[in-house]
Amino acid sequence: MTLVAVGLALILLAGLGAFALERQPRRADQVFRYGVLAGSGAAAWPAVVLLLRGARSSGVAERLPGGAYGLDLLSAWFLALLLGVGACAAVYGIPYLVEERRHRRVGVAHLLLAVLLTALAGVFTARTIIAFLAAWEVMAVAAYLLVVFERERAEARRAGLIYLVLTHASTLALLAMFATWSGGGVESRFEDLAGGRAGTAAPASAILVLALIGFGIKAGVVPAHFWLPGAHAAAPSHISALLSGVMIKTGIYGLLRVLTLLGPPPPWWGWTVLLLGLASAVLGVLWALAQHDLKRVLAYSSVENIGIILVGLGLGALGAAYHEPALALLGFTGALLHTLNHALFKSLLFLGAGAVVRATGTRELDRLGGLGRLMPRTAAAFLVGALAIAGLPPLNGFVSEWLIFRGLLEAGGAEAASLRAASAAAAGLALTGALALACFTKLHGTVFLGKPRERFAIVSGAPDAGLTAPQRFLASACVVIGVLPPVVVPAAAGAARVVIPDAGTAGDLGGAAGAAARVTLVALSLAVLVALVWRIRLLDGGRPAARVRETWACAYPGVTSRMQYMASSFAASLLAAFGPLSGRRVVAGPGSFEVHAADPVLDTAGRFLWDRLQRGAARARLLQTGRLRWYLVYLILSLLGLLGYLWTAT
Amino acid sequence: MILSPILSLLAVLGLAPLLPGIANRIKSALTGRRGAPVLQLYWDLAKLWRKGVVYSSTTTVIFRLAPVVLAASTVLAASLLPLDGRRALLSFPGDLVAFAGLLGLGRFLLVLAALDTGSSFEGMGASREVTVATFAEPALFLCFTVLVIATGDLRLEGMLGRPLVAAWPLAAPSLVLAAASLFIVLLAETARVPVDDPLTHLELTMIHEVMVLDHSGPDLALILYAGSVKLALFGSLVVGVLVPRGQLAAPLALGVLVAGLVAIAVLVGIVESVMARLRMNRVPQLLVAATALAGFGLTLLLA
Amino acid sequence: MRPVHELLLLLVVLTNFWVLGTTRLSATIRAVAIQGVLLAALPLALHPGISAHRLGLAAGTLVVKAVVLPAFLVRAIREAAVRREIEPLIGFSASMLLGAGAVALGFSIAPRLPLPELDTRTLVPVALSTVIIGLLVLTTRSKAVTQVVGYLILENGIYVFGLSQAERVPFLVEVGVLLDIFVGVFIMGIVVFHINREFDSLDSARLTELRD
Repeated sequence: MTLVAVGLALILLAGLGAFALERQPRRADQVFRYGVLAGSGAAAWPAVVLLLRGARSSGVAERLPGGAYGLDLLSAWFLALLLGVGACAAVYGIPYLVEERRHRRVGVAHLLLAVLLTALAGVFTARTIIAFLAAWEVMAVAAYLLVVFERERAEARRAGLIYLVLTHASTLALLAMFATWSGGGVESRFEDLAGGRAGTAAPASAILVLALIGFGIKAGVVPAHFWLPGAHAAAPSHISALLSGVMIKTGIYGLLRVLTLLGPPPPWWGWTVLLLGLASAVLGVLWALAQHDLKRVLAYSSVENIGIILVGLGLGALGAAYHEPALALLGFTGALLHTLNHALFKSLLFLGAGAVVRATGTRELDRLGGLGRLMPRTAAAFLVGALAIAGLPPLNGFVSEWLIFRGLLEAGGAEAASLRAASAAAAGLALTGALALACFTKLHGTVFLGKPRERFAIVSGAPDAGLTAPQRFLASACVVIGVLPPVVVPAAAGAARVVIPDAGTAGDLGGAAGAAARVTLVALSLAVLVALVWRIRLLDGGRPAARVRETWACAYPGVTSRMQYMASSFAASLLAAFGPLSGRRVVAGPGSFEVHAADPVLDTAGRFLWDRLQRGAARARLLQTGRLRWYLVYLILSLLGLLGYLWTAT
Repeated sequence: MILSPILSLLAVLGLAPLLPGIANRIKSALTGRRGAPVLQLYWDLAKLWRKGVVYSSTTTVIFRLAPVVLAASTVLAASLLPLDGRRALLSFPGDLVAFAGLLGLGRFLLVLAALDTGSSFEGMGASREVTVATFAEPALFLCFTVLVIATGDLRLEGMLGRPLVAAWPLAAPSLVLAAASLFIVLLAETARVPVDDPLTHLELTMIHEVMVLDHSGPDLALILYAGSVKLALFGSLVVGVLVPRGQLAAPLALGVLVAGLVAIAVLVGIVESVMARLRMNRVPQLLVAATALAGFGLTLLLA
Repeated sequence: MRPVHELLLLLVVLTNFWVLGTTRLSATIRAVAIQGVLLAALPLALHPGISAHRLGLAAGTLVVKAVVLPAFLVRAIREAAVRREIEPLIGFSASMLLGAGAVALGFSIAPRLPLPELDTRTLVPVALSTVIIGLLVLTTRSKAVTQVVGYLILENGIYVFGLSQAERVPFLVEVGVLLDIFVGVFIMGIVVFHINREFDSLDSARLTELRD
């Protein structure tokens, strides 16, 4: 843990260095790049070692002196994925922000990124309430400042404001949760909270509900997701990668930590989480499909993936509640693995999106197209990310979804009859996967394939290694986990065992570790088969040489690139089948046709409530007379009220 | 022991192109025409394989990769099914997710290949293909869930193998409902009437065919072949559920499977000649009905 | 294998789905007629042996539910010249999913109802879900004929429920069949007044206009 602290200090120092050396951009970049890389390496080392060694106990393996921060397997899992993604984001951010130098002090962004990384690490390793909440607030504020980094854009300011309101609501819920739990003492250690050893034996259900609200808002669970797309789309792309890839996972971490301390939850909580997860998964990807903005698609798809993670988490909670440790282990392991996988492929996709935005200056899907020829490396990495996020073999998204599917199906054979109904959730997850396929074929297809819809001045040729290397690293991580799940599944299971310690006997995940080797076999067979078919396909059976012509347009001669299927037209028929739920609004008039992607929660329910609130507030304005005399009357009245309260209270 | 799954796989892969031929022949016979020979697809494949390729100048490597990956992943998906009634070549708990995932992989790349051409027709086809596939997926998984719960086995070779024999007397209604639902999924996934009409000649009314409009020569052969294998795969699922063959000797089980596949092809042909294709926006409704059927089956099992 | 009545009940549920999923009025009528046949067979299948009472019940049900009312309804759509349901407020897909949900609900709450032990576990859940689906059709569809079909389904649900209680409450089912006369009056109304859309005068939203 000392090494973790040293590494984090190094990251902070690198950030400070980048901030201080603003006048010498080259040196600032060097300091930041190598400082962050070294710092993340140092801080991640103990976590990775702990995970690979698989600590024999679920306890805290290492602590900082004073005990405010410590590392157990669960913390180590999140810390490792944070630092992996964080290092990629930081390295990528350096060339990404070079052009921003003309507009503002880029060092600020680097410093804030370092602070955000440190704060996130603090959240994942805190062992006392005060340490956790402090790190949580630093994280929230640093993230806010990064969201509004391009503050001249109204969209960024608006998104930042919504984010700020929601994150404070989340903190408030967490404060309330810890207060009920510990009976008011913020100094409490997490160990003291466990098993009701705290001052008051607060009702577990209150804690669980507050945790669900607080951490659910942070994770972006439907219907509290609406801060997420705006904020994650507005931030600079490498920050979006970190926010979507890691920061929303603090909500998942928090829920798991609460379960660790509180023990098996009641069944209703598990069902709630499962259903919220299903709703987030299906609606998140449906709304992602409806978007026209490259980064908003990715942001909404984070809602979807949080949903998938919550399905796993809910299943785990149900397994714990119904005393099915093997099921619980499958659920939690699937959730944890998907947390890692989503961090990898979502940050990969955001970095790719950032490269596209840098090259073209636009995020509008209906203006992009045909970029694959100009940016082949980005296109290839993005394709890996798209396949992975659609949950297809042989990539990592498949492995975690496979674990969660397995858990759901095994619930179908559970002892408790009511638990068996959980297996029906497999259909919802399948719908999510199919929608994700539609969403990411649309994204990759309209950005990188086809003909360019507009001409952009893109300099082809080798791009900055700082932009491509992180993408390559993340893409290879996706492939490695997808092909070799036995490498990571045991580590994820180890972290899951922290949450459900009595699953000790279900050592091999009900055969999942062995089955994971079969996934490797599937991946390898696929590779061999593809190579084989490719080879056969190349056999020259005396056939004429391939010719290159224009795309066949069914004999219509006047085709232009503007006639291609656009992102919105590609999604139209699928969205239409979902009706108003999809948020797709068509405004058609004589000679005009517009398609908008509204957020049904924010733009319908939210607006309605806001109007109500405003009308109520307008009524309250009667009180504001502008005359001092009246204000004094109010003062006196409230004083009298307080006195009256005191009088009745005593 | 491993020989029998391999031989069955080869037999099914070899016979797959027969199925569309049978379906089309039945359709012709029922509408009073003589129709193409049953072996037509074999001739088509042989001819296409010898032909040259035309690539669109818009396309990238994805366009060339897609047919290859589609064929490979479809064949690999076939190896997950217990075609001889007992054993699959590759089997592990939850392999049904891999089955769906492999088919999804082929679809993903084929859709990308369609968008790669920049053709508005192919974009339209791709858009329709993902729409249909999206609604087929929940039905497929609900059927799998029914099978898993009925047999207590998470491996396809168990779900369609020996445990299924024991499950039939206990769960007959659910299994029949699942089979009916799977048959609708089959019609949708293999682009047959009432979802898609493989014999239509107007691009605007096509789904699957218009998506592969620009593929030619060996690439098209691979796509057509993969399509017929897919028909055999879903047919094997339906036959596997309706006629559990776990207790039969492997050669006999394979024979029953082939007979069942022929029956499925005949059934597809009959459906095609008695039904009109649905309006495009009614297709999701049909698949939702399939989902509801499977869901009803699941309810009966869970109750 | 399963007893015959379970199969019949299963088919009853499938006819419910059929009504929920189809747009054609003639198809809904056919579905409800088939449902009538199934219901007529049900009392015979439910208990072994044949008694005059049960035969009479079956014959009466068959005549009323499977022949007379469907024939009336066919006449009604011819008179009112309607063929198709228009896209309802809750779409066909959604209502089918709701129907599946209703079936799941029926099966999950039926065991918890304080009812005497029956030798079948399917009767009460099917009755409950049929009632819910009938209500669903009745409330979400806009053509008068479909609403009548919805009412018929609702009543068929009550009929099935009555069968489960026939041991305790004699003549419950028979009284239920009499309710069908009410349906006949409905349909006559449609025929006579050429009602095409919903019964506007029954629009409860307009009740809010009543005030002093």
